Amino acid sequence: MSWSLYLSMMKSHAKMLGGFIYGAVAYIVLIIWIYPSIADMKGFNDMINALPEGMRKLIGMENGINSLADYIAGEFYGMLFLIILMVYVILTSTRLMARLVDQGSMAYLLATPNSRVKVAATQAAVIITGLALIVAFTTLSGIAASEWLISGYELDVPSFITFNVLTFLIFLVIAGYCFFISSSFNDEKKALGISAGLTLFFYMLNMAGKLSEDTEWLLNFTIFKLYDPIKMINNETNALLTGSMLGVGALLLFGGSLIIFKRRNLPL
Amino acid sequence: MIKVKNLTKRFTPEKGLFDLNFEVKKGEVFGYIGPNGAGKSTTIRHLMGFMKPDDGSSIINDLDCWAKSAEVQKLIGYLPGEIVFLEGMNGLDFLNLMQKMRKHKMTQKRDELIERFQLDVKTPIRKMSKGMKQKVGIIAAFMHDPEVLILDEPTSGLDPLMQRVFIDLILEEKKKNKTILMSSHSFQEIERTCDSAGIIKDGRLVALEDIYSLRTVQRRIFEVKVKKESDIELIHQSQLQTEIMGEKTAHITVQGNDQEFIQLLSRCEVEHVDTRPQDLEDIFMHYYDRREVAQ
Repeated sequence: MSWSLYLSMMKSHAKMLGGFIYGAVAYIVLIIWIYPSIADMKGFNDMINALPEGMRKLIGMENGINSLADYIAGEFYGMLFLIILMVYVILTSTRLMARLVDQGSMAYLLATPNSRVKVAATQAAVIITGLALIVAFTTLSGIAASEWLISGYELDVPSFITFNVLTFLIFLVIAGYCFFISSSFNDEKKALGISAGLTLFFYMLNMAGKLSEDTEWLLNFTIFKLYDPIKMINNETNALLTGSMLGVGALLLFGGSLIIFKRRNLPL
Repeated sequence: MIKVKNLTKRFTPEKGLFDLNFEVKKGEVFGYIGPNGAGKSTTIRHLMGFMKPDDGSSIINDLDCWAKSAEVQKLIGYLPGEIVFLEGMNGLDFLNLMQKMRKHKMTQKRDELIERFQLDVKTPIRKMSKGMKQKVGIIAAFMHDPEVLILDEPTSGLDPLMQRVFIDLILEEKKKNKTILMSSHSFQEIERTCDSAGIIKDGRLVALEDIYSLRTVQRRIFEVKVKKESDIELIHQSQLQTEIMGEKTAHITVQGNDQEFIQLLSRCEVEHVDTRPQDLEDIFMHYYDRREVAQ
């Protein structure tokens, strides 16, 4: 990794990253803040239970809202946070590799005595840092908000942290294949389109899979099968197994990106 | 210092590089001339290790440019043909980043070059004109005092004054025994600085000669306007290749026979002499013709 390139890249990505962190933090704080009024609302769960089962699964409220953890997982992690992270990962991975090759500024980075693997590893470190920062800030503000902003509702902090680590790892895998795509293409738009298309395709499979029992098999073809916020936050999944699988997957994808970038012709 | 051996890269059967061979010795300035799309930049991409050859190899200082690209970069200063810098920086930020990535600490030469090219380094790169970017590029290529300079159309975008500054810079580096390869589509630019030159067309090297023999085959066309019609007759009857353009105007092609040309003109009453701007095909008709015959 080239430290000076890393710092300069982080600096130029700071604004965008700041925006994403701000959005995520503001929303999780807001959502925790209004929790007491929803929890106290009579008949909210009845209303949710009146929805068809598929629909409930889809909005992440299979069993209604029974705890603060369920609520955060369903309302925030199941919806907005998912979108924030997807957009961040797709945009950033494209900007870090394909864009530099497409525009030609990659030529300057490679015209220094840093190997392609080193340059690509630095770029990978930038997206990994960014993703980690978003998740870390969100976790911290989630914990802080539930401690200080509302009273009378407990959040199980250790399982909330485990859950966030898993969330990070899942999006690390998504970042991994987006980065792989970004490292393989010369055209920024093409890389962006394929990354976004593939991710949306996985997401749609996930939605379709959850709609009914007949379509459940579709879940086997999407990474989002592993992302089930409510189950994860309630420790109903094997976090260690899933976590290490995701870790290995991410490692392979980023490793593959470095190799493909090392070997290909660059039109610089 | 720089060796290109049987370098071949086929994009399509007609486009690419085909069996390219040339060598630039240490301390030599090599001009790489060819029309647009001939393969100049593609050759340079191979030297920089951006592309893997289908066949053959390019070698700098006994290191293979593809396999050992990171090591080769230690020796090279590179100016790309199309300069694009990283976004969101000013000129100085960029130069600093390049120095840090090279682990090069001396700023003396950099500041000297900034002074020389009168560059305002605090300007954000996205606000820079083509000429300013070219200056930043030139400084980035020269500031770490590299052994080998690879310059892709170095003077494009510079005004005549700055072109002069650039040419002086090249001549200085040449005195310091640096090896320089520069591409261009203008013979005039190469002529002033280079020891030898290669002419490339359609991915094939059509000539590889020292600059003096190239000068003798270079064709220049002069437009001569004379005062009397009888002079036109005189010009027409001379041994030179001429073309009568109007009542008192003729085009005279000169190729190594400058002496005869001057003698002819001394016998006429000349009102006006001008050279016609030409493209490379005109200048090196000799080589292009020979290749077509060979085909």
